[in-house]
Amino acid sequence: MWEILRRPLQRGSLAGEPAATLPSGLAPAARAAESEHELLGEALREEVRRLFRGSLKLRHLDAGSCNACESELLALLNPFHDLQRFGIDFVASPRHADGLLLTGPVTRHLEEAVRLTDQATPRPRLLIAVGDCACDGGFCRDSFAVHRGGEALLPVDVKIPGCPPHPTAILRALLAALGQDAVRALAARG
Amino acid sequence: MTLQPGELFPLDSALRGIRERFSDAVIDADRTSLRERTVVVPAERLAEVAGAIVGEWGGMLLQLFALDERESAGRYRLHVMFTMAPEDAILTLVSAVPELAPAYRSITTTVPAAHWLEREMRDLMGVTPMDHPDPRPLIAHEGWPRDFHPLRKDFAPGDAVEWAPRWKFLPVEGDGVFEIPVGPIHAGVIEPGHFRFSTVGEAVLKLDVRLGWKWRGLEKLAEGATLSRGLELAERVCGTCAFSHALAFCGAAEEIAGIVPPPRARALRSMAGELERLLNHLTDLGGILTDVAYVVGAAEMARLKEAVQQTADALFGHRFLRGVCVPGGVQRDLDDAQQLWLRRALADVRADVAGVLRSARANAAVMDRLATTGVLTPQVARDFGVTGVAARASGSVRDGRKDHPYAFYRELDFQVISRTGGDVLARLDVRADEIVESLNLIDQMILRLPGGPLVQHVGELPPGRWGFGLVESPRGLLSHWLRADDRGLIGEWRMRSASHAIWPALALCVPGNIVPDFPLINKSFNLCYACTDK
Repeated sequence: MWEILRRPLQRGSLAGEPAATLPSGLAPAARAAESEHELLGEALREEVRRLFRGSLKLRHLDAGSCNACESELLALLNPFHDLQRFGIDFVASPRHADGLLLTGPVTRHLEEAVRLTDQATPRPRLLIAVGDCACDGGFCRDSFAVHRGGEALLPVDVKIPGCPPHPTAILRALLAALGQDAVRALAARG
Repeated sequence: MTLQPGELFPLDSALRGIRERFSDAVIDADRTSLRERTVVVPAERLAEVAGAIVGEWGGMLLQLFALDERESAGRYRLHVMFTMAPEDAILTLVSAVPELAPAYRSITTTVPAAHWLEREMRDLMGVTPMDHPDPRPLIAHEGWPRDFHPLRKDFAPGDAVEWAPRWKFLPVEGDGVFEIPVGPIHAGVIEPGHFRFSTVGEAVLKLDVRLGWKWRGLEKLAEGATLSRGLELAERVCGTCAFSHALAFCGAAEEIAGIVPPPRARALRSMAGELERLLNHLTDLGGILTDVAYVVGAAEMARLKEAVQQTADALFGHRFLRGVCVPGGVQRDLDDAQQLWLRRALADVRADVAGVLRSARANAAVMDRLATTGVLTPQVARDFGVTGVAARASGSVRDGRKDHPYAFYRELDFQVISRTGGDVLARLDVRADEIVESLNLIDQMILRLPGGPLVQHVGELPPGRWGFGLVESPRGLLSHWLRADDRGLIGEWRMRSASHAIWPALALCVPGNIVPDFPLINKSFNLCYACTDK
């Protein structure tokens, strides 16, 4: 046990550090995204503190995605992105959630499950469509077996496009959304 | 299985056996591929021949699907594909099922691995396997319209469908035995599936797995599409094995077009494939450690995964390696500096994974949860055509990279990792060792990366030809099958992921275990829902 604890203790917190150390000039985009991530996170923490008393709980709802959006949502929880330090966390039950993170185009087979999960979420609640599929059906929007995104069934408050959206893009969109008047009004009622 | 000198190769012994025993079978009626031999058999003999191929001649069911040829020939065409590993050969049984009486005797009675494939085919194509031991619908959930078979050619993806309301679940009655329904929506960032446990106390008596929730009708969407649209669909069947799907799809297209990608492209494909394996294995090890509450190890794995994913993003331009593989080759190249940097970035991974697992294995609380939990027996693995990590943790030495070498694997030196325990621990061990092999493979490719172009031009697809691509994805053998239509576009696309084969076998590993161990067992396989449902 000591062996595994020693390394993190010596190294200190990784949150916000670039996961891979990139030599300059090789891939500047990745380095820029990391610092943007920190700035976004700080701003997001401020908005969450102001609007949700410092704690925004979200529940993930898979409505037929390919699992890439799920992977990026999980990446937000890893030691680098560490979403919790900005006051946002994912919860296990819709009953504990301030909002839903919807992924996938809403397949016909999941229609009822999506409705029931939404009904189980206390009002007011945010509905956040994550990824192209949840926004408008994405690459499979022409299929007979799916709806064209969350809007077909439920009112969507925030759309986060991307296939899949980068973890930083998810933060950026959340921040933009929390700045919206509509979301402020929603938070004020809750 | 190893071949002795003078012994017939599996394919030859199967063909000889078919010739001797089944006089009405026609061998090589319309051969289109060098590694695939086709045998036309009457539909009523299918179960018998398939049973002999698996039971006597060492074949393993790979894929089973139907094609709608009513317009051109007044029939449905059945393809039943077997891999003859360790020989790099595929034996395909082809059967005609008449349009007016679309039924034949189920081969699940002799080959259990056909279980879900036949149910799916009946739902989507309306060809009925008679005497199937489990005739419940698979993809056709409640409210499915009567006589609706979307893969038939007279249905277009844009057509409107009149779905009926879903049924409600019936209440459970009776003493002593309890049913625990779980899902389709789970408590976490997880894909949807329904599990129904019949339990007495904590022990599970029976587990019924019901999938199909994510069914997006992707195979239908590919009909009449161009190769680039087909690739877009293939890369989105499954987010976490996107590269393997792209590679298998491109392999099928290249076989139809009759081209081989240039050496540098093949090496870069293997490199990206190993990066994807690394990503998935790190995720899965982290998942197992999470489920036994070994949080420090899980966090370390999440850190390593993110590091590899950012590496993949920086070098190949996408966190899930989409857009790397295209028909005819690859779109991304690594220069010398990038290769060097990749080696350096991955060197840390090797040491860190070993360190985390050493401390996890030294922890009695962890080992107690892992050992003897969720045993997959070699018999069940064979019967259900299980491949990949799951099979290799149960004594199998089959690996698509060795048995059906694609990309650059023929030129590479690596070990097939195998364990015999069949439990969660064995699956963890196989993954841990495969991570080391993947890192070795990437090192080898960096040292020996051939020069030359990245793409070989893929021209028009010759109408009516078919081809398939086999890839050892992180979860096991993955196959994509394509046939060109008369305009040179995609006529039919059929794909089967490793998860599709493993799910029914997973359900059999759970009885006898306690309910709280199910998440751990499930995580130790970590099967895809999206690429099972399609």
